[in-house]
Amino acid sequence: MAKGELLLEVRSEEIPARMLRPALAELEAGVFDGLASLGLAPRSIDGFFGPRRLCLVLKGSPRREADQRVQQVGPPASAAFDEDGQPTRAALGFAKRCGVAAEALQRVSLDKGEYVAVEVEKRGRPTTEILSELLPRVIAGLSWPKTMRWGSGQGPWIRPIHGIVALFEGEVVAFELFGIESGRSTCGHPVLSPEPFEVKGALDYRRKLERRSVEIDFEVRRERIAAGMRELARGLGGEVVEDPELLDKLTAICEIPGVVGGRFDEEFLALPREVLVTTLRDHQSAFSVEHKGGLAPAFLTVMDRLDDPAGLVQAGNEWVVAARLTDARFFYQEDRKLSLSEHAERLAKLTFHVKLGSYADKAQRIRQLVQILCEELQWGKDRKSAELATGLLKADLTTEMVKEFTSLQGIVGGIYAQADGAHEEVWQAIYDQYLPVTSSGSIPRGRVGMVCGIADRIDTLVGIFGLGLRPTGSRDPFGLRRAAQGLVKIVLEAELPIDLDLVAARAVLLYGDRFERTGDEVLNDLRPFLEDRVRHILGLEGFAYDEIEAGLAVGFGNLPDLRARVQALHGMRNDRGFLSVVLAAKRIANILKDTEEHSFRVELLKDDAERELYESSRDLRAEVEAAEAKGAYDECLTSISHFADVLERFFVEVLVMDEDRDLRQNRIALLQSIQRTLSRTARLTSMVVDRAELRKG
Amino acid sequence: MQSFQGLILLLSSFWAERGCVLQQPYDLEVGAGTMHPDTFLRVLGPEPWRVAYVQPSRRPADARYGDNPFRLGRHFQFQAVLKPSPHDIQAQYVDSLRAMGIDLGAHDLRFEEDDWEAPTLGAWGVGWQVMLDGMEITQFTYFQQAGGLELDPISVEITYGLERITMFLGLSRNVYDVEWGGGLSYGQVRHQDEVESSKYYFEIADVSFLEEQFAGWEREAQRCLEAGVVLPAYECALRCSHAFNVLDARGAVSATERVALIKRVRDLAVACAEAYVASREKQGYPLLGANREGNADGQG
Repeated sequence: MAKGELLLEVRSEEIPARMLRPALAELEAGVFDGLASLGLAPRSIDGFFGPRRLCLVLKGSPRREADQRVQQVGPPASAAFDEDGQPTRAALGFAKRCGVAAEALQRVSLDKGEYVAVEVEKRGRPTTEILSELLPRVIAGLSWPKTMRWGSGQGPWIRPIHGIVALFEGEVVAFELFGIESGRSTCGHPVLSPEPFEVKGALDYRRKLERRSVEIDFEVRRERIAAGMRELARGLGGEVVEDPELLDKLTAICEIPGVVGGRFDEEFLALPREVLVTTLRDHQSAFSVEHKGGLAPAFLTVMDRLDDPAGLVQAGNEWVVAARLTDARFFYQEDRKLSLSEHAERLAKLTFHVKLGSYADKAQRIRQLVQILCEELQWGKDRKSAELATGLLKADLTTEMVKEFTSLQGIVGGIYAQADGAHEEVWQAIYDQYLPVTSSGSIPRGRVGMVCGIADRIDTLVGIFGLGLRPTGSRDPFGLRRAAQGLVKIVLEAELPIDLDLVAARAVLLYGDRFERTGDEVLNDLRPFLEDRVRHILGLEGFAYDEIEAGLAVGFGNLPDLRARVQALHGMRNDRGFLSVVLAAKRIANILKDTEEHSFRVELLKDDAERELYESSRDLRAEVEAAEAKGAYDECLTSISHFADVLERFFVEVLVMDEDRDLRQNRIALLQSIQRTLSRTARLTSMVVDRAELRKG
Repeated sequence: MQSFQGLILLLSSFWAERGCVLQQPYDLEVGAGTMHPDTFLRVLGPEPWRVAYVQPSRRPADARYGDNPFRLGRHFQFQAVLKPSPHDIQAQYVDSLRAMGIDLGAHDLRFEEDDWEAPTLGAWGVGWQVMLDGMEITQFTYFQQAGGLELDPISVEITYGLERITMFLGLSRNVYDVEWGGGLSYGQVRHQDEVESSKYYFEIADVSFLEEQFAGWEREAQRCLEAGVVLPAYECALRCSHAFNVLDARGAVSATERVALIKRVRDLAVACAEAYVASREKQGYPLLGANREGNADGQG
């Protein structure tokens, strides 16, 4: 038994796989923090889980809290002693309550006056006692996505609890939760080894579970499953088609990591690969097997037992897979009775949104947006293919296959278009239209796919915002955040020089009079939403918040241009000259606050320093404009950084707010012109500069 | 090898031995055993209850003219409902599988998350689909709400898919080949029904007649509620629900109408649930303390 060891196991009915890991993390944190706050932090903490148990092993917690001397404050001194300095009844009562003689009372000065007090020894409580309050509170307080009650209203928890093992240094930490008393008894696999057994501590617990083939360490289970699958796949003459997400899911749903394989009829290999893989994964939680560049007629999955002595598990899984593939083939054959363009004709009956019309209406708007995009991008050669692709883009939403497997939307359309003999650009555009799926996912392969993906998303965003249904908090029923994210990612990654403001404005027009709000209201709502996604993605690319803000303030519509400006700011981040100009720009902004526009007259220049500033500023403007025309924003900022000394001299030697009105207004006019030059690339005043850091460097 | 009717007999006696009232199938068209008033209404309120029955369940949209070896327009569920849910209900369920002759020492049994929701009933619960060797054989649900009302005590509902289980145990590739009993196959007993019902649902059903039916039964339900007769009102609601299902299979319901029609059925179900609870309360909850066996175990 390790010193200061706590073993905790909460055993319940099957907890949903996806919730296990977060629940364990919360349990760990709750118990650790609860102990640490009382000075009882363990030296180590390990967590384990299986579908039916959450488990913690803590080591090195002290056996009891440290003893403390604490001051107990009693009545005011004035009420504690009478005129003769003798303790009053109040004082005697207080001393008695504290268990001391009246002589032990001391006078103490507090903010509120003089009081009597006594120092008492407070014995630290035993850790076991603390745990018996802490553990039930932490277990009951776990934040599940959805909870339930059972029996006569027990709970709420994620599923009914059946047992709790709680041992501190081998002794039971006694408590009750939802009618279950903690103890030292648990059991193994509910079907294969249901007999209860008692445990002495963590090591004994692990050993006894192992003897019952239960492995509670997730990583160990996953490695065993992965190894088992590799071996089985080799036996089938192939390799596992990797799918880490599925592997995690399967590891979470078993306590005993067994692997089972099976075969299916080769005739199903005629189905598209994506359909086979998805059928096996979504319906059967099974892996596909790769074989010589194609799929093998085989699958691999997990069972919650070690072996399959009678072959029944394999036979059962094969039976279900055959049924599933028969279904998939039925859908495929039904779908293929019509060409994809015939499917597209049914879109008129499929509602996109009650107030925004059918998918046929949507497809029509996408078609026009795609033409606008091709024009903007000067992709004339792609117009024809884009036109064809948009006509078929959403057609697969009417197919049986997509109704069955929504995750295959787009992909099914692409496959069917290819089978119909569509040109590569066209079917790939349909296939790729929903890419990127995640923020790190790849974008559509070709130009047509990109414009289709952009047009579709803009249309959805504008439409839903047009109805005033923008996402709030965690509610985003139309997936607008993901749509905006995908849109921004395509534009940035492919560096497409399109003006998003303009495209969104055109998208609003295409909706005609379907909105009850004006186009400007819609666009003004949408703009900050898109800007947020831009912030997020540029942030992921490693740019600092102030760099992004400074860039966004100057221009948003053209995202690659925005990124070039942010990139330039990032590059100048540590340049002394540039940072000094940033400070000067902030100073200029302060001076110019609430000033009116004045006109500049060169003959009013008086001091050398302002004459120098004027001349340098003319050069600067020319340099910045020239660099800007090339899109060389780093050069713009380099030129600006060289402006530091002149600006500094000006502010040291010249007083802008001169008493002479003409001189004052002329200097303001000069600064206004300089401000315009400085803010062309980015709003420099958004940059955060650490003055102390600057002085040091 | 277990025949179809053998399985029914077996499950019936298994749950009857565990204190369930052996009820008969409801004599109206329903989409699932849950809609039987002995589940939907009995799970409401404080009275204990245990029941088991077979329920023919109609899913017009799943009808396949008797051609598809796995899908049926009407299938049979065996359903057990225990209220409050006994603490050892999972173990009892596993025992029912053993009683069917399934040697769990040689099979893989898993409980996979699968929460249940019935928008037309204003009901939801949490639980699992029970997987035997990768096949879903049972829905296992702890009801949390029904008719829009929070439930206390909690009922557990165990729904066995009878065709699936018989097919699976025999590894039969076609539901129509399954042995029903009495020397006949499932196909011999039911095939004509599947063929003709499919034809009716997809080709013949008169849309405007069904729409009138829906509206008519809806009015009738409201009249019953006003007259204070709950069970007849609920039957009218079930008829609305079935009319909706046939209309849906017929392709006569657009996405918008769909939402509206579901809401109309739910409104009726919710009203019936509330009226039922009120009527039981008025009677002083007659079953409180009556079903001793049902109250004996569990933690309650």
